[in-house]
Amino acid sequence: MAKSPKAIFWLLFAAGGTVTAFVLPVMILVTGLAPAAGLFSDALSYETMNAFVGNWLVKIILFGILSLAAWHAAHRLRVVAHDFGIRADTFVAQLAYFMAGIATVLALIALLAV
Amino acid sequence: MSRNPYVRKMSKTTWFLTHGRYRSYILHELSSFFVAIYTGILIMGLLRLGSGPEEWAGWLEGVTSPAGIVFHLLAFAFAIIHTVSWFKVVPQAMRIQRGEDFVPGQLLVRAHYGVLAGVSVVVLILAGIA
Amino acid sequence: MSTREITLKVLRYRPEVDSKPFFQTYEKVPCEEEWVVLDALNYIKDEIDRTLSFRWSCHMFVCGSCGMVINGEPKLSCKAFLRDYGKKITVEPLANFPIERDLVVVIDDFVEKLLSVKPWVIPKVKKSLDDGAYNQTPAQLKSFKQYSMCINCLLCYSACPQYGLDNSFVGPASLALAHRYNMDSRDVGRKAREDVVASAEGIWECSFVGACSQVCPKDVDPAGAIQQIKITSAIDYVMSMVPGGK
Repeated sequence: MAKSPKAIFWLLFAAGGTVTAFVLPVMILVTGLAPAAGLFSDALSYETMNAFVGNWLVKIILFGILSLAAWHAAHRLRVVAHDFGIRADTFVAQLAYFMAGIATVLALIALLAV
Repeated sequence: MSRNPYVRKMSKTTWFLTHGRYRSYILHELSSFFVAIYTGILIMGLLRLGSGPEEWAGWLEGVTSPAGIVFHLLAFAFAIIHTVSWFKVVPQAMRIQRGEDFVPGQLLVRAHYGVLAGVSVVVLILAGIA
Repeated sequence: MSTREITLKVLRYRPEVDSKPFFQTYEKVPCEEEWVVLDALNYIKDEIDRTLSFRWSCHMFVCGSCGMVINGEPKLSCKAFLRDYGKKITVEPLANFPIERDLVVVIDDFVEKLLSVKPWVIPKVKKSLDDGAYNQTPAQLKSFKQYSMCINCLLCYSACPQYGLDNSFVGPASLALAHRYNMDSRDVGRKAREDVVASAEGIWECSFVGACSQVCPKDVDPAGAIQQIKITSAIDYVMSMVPGGK
């Protein structure tokens, strides 16, 4: 038996799981539920957001959160597929990690463009 | 006497409904679906933020639409399920030995909740809500 | 001492006559208040139906041979007190193993898995008896002691859906014991165990359902052990890819 490369993906999954456990609840509140509840006057206005995301520290932190969240979710969805009885694990894994790779690249492009 | 062992097969597609602990496992595993979609929505938002004020306004409109609200409510619930289930197993994955004894697991869990509270307050202040 | 009558529904399988297992109900089994399920089974065997087969030995949670599924939960039948159950109790053999006969399962696969992780101390230098003992501090002992409490009762394998779905998985108890030796200060066998432990069929087949640790009668926490191995193995794997790493 050989050592499995699942190690790498598990490491990203675990790191992403930890980061998302700390930040996702409040982030969903701020970017999803607060604007709908009208809790913002101008915090989510174009100018404020542009200035906020324009900060390099913010860019780095957001990139870390978004990419790790994507790899975390991808690996866990691979496991869910397996748990649901979908046994084409190699295909599912390739698809899931491909999507996570796309998300990582898009996050980078988006953050650099602001 | 001849041997003839009998093999009982587990259902590959419904096993997770057969016991409470399997149901709670699959529930927190399913949080990944919402984490994935939410991450996608945020990345889309950032892409549109970079494309100008109208694009950004369009994204905000989507978030605050009825479908957007329903999704974010569900995503919030699953995010909480993820956080609670993740912190619950911290003492199993993280064992810190000081001298002979281990740091009590519940202390590690409480420390995690402390950091969660701190991070949440900081984000809320940055957003101008708290 | 008070007695009460219990109905036991037992999954039977007689390989020479049955094509598949069936439930047999033993009604009004007279039981003492302080009895465990194993006592009730022994009463049935002695007084009602001597064809019923099951394994047991010590009757005191040490030998690990009387594991069964009682009311859907993997349990040591010597530790399952009748007073904690209702008047009807369902007893089945451990899940995820072939049934040899009645409540007796075939555990060859587990024995093979257990041996594959080299569950013994692999010392750096072999000492002769004259050289004396391998010393260890109380703190070093405590670092792994929890994982050494395993009695191979297989309740964890019965509870583990990943083993049930795909029994190429090395499984909870074997991996917990691998961890027990990896953590032992007298042992240098971690690398030798990794071929099996860190393979796809080893720790990476585990998705941390955590059922193994919840049913363990000895609080071994195999799920925790597996997560800890995952962390060190993942770091090992990354280090092996870094130029100059090992």
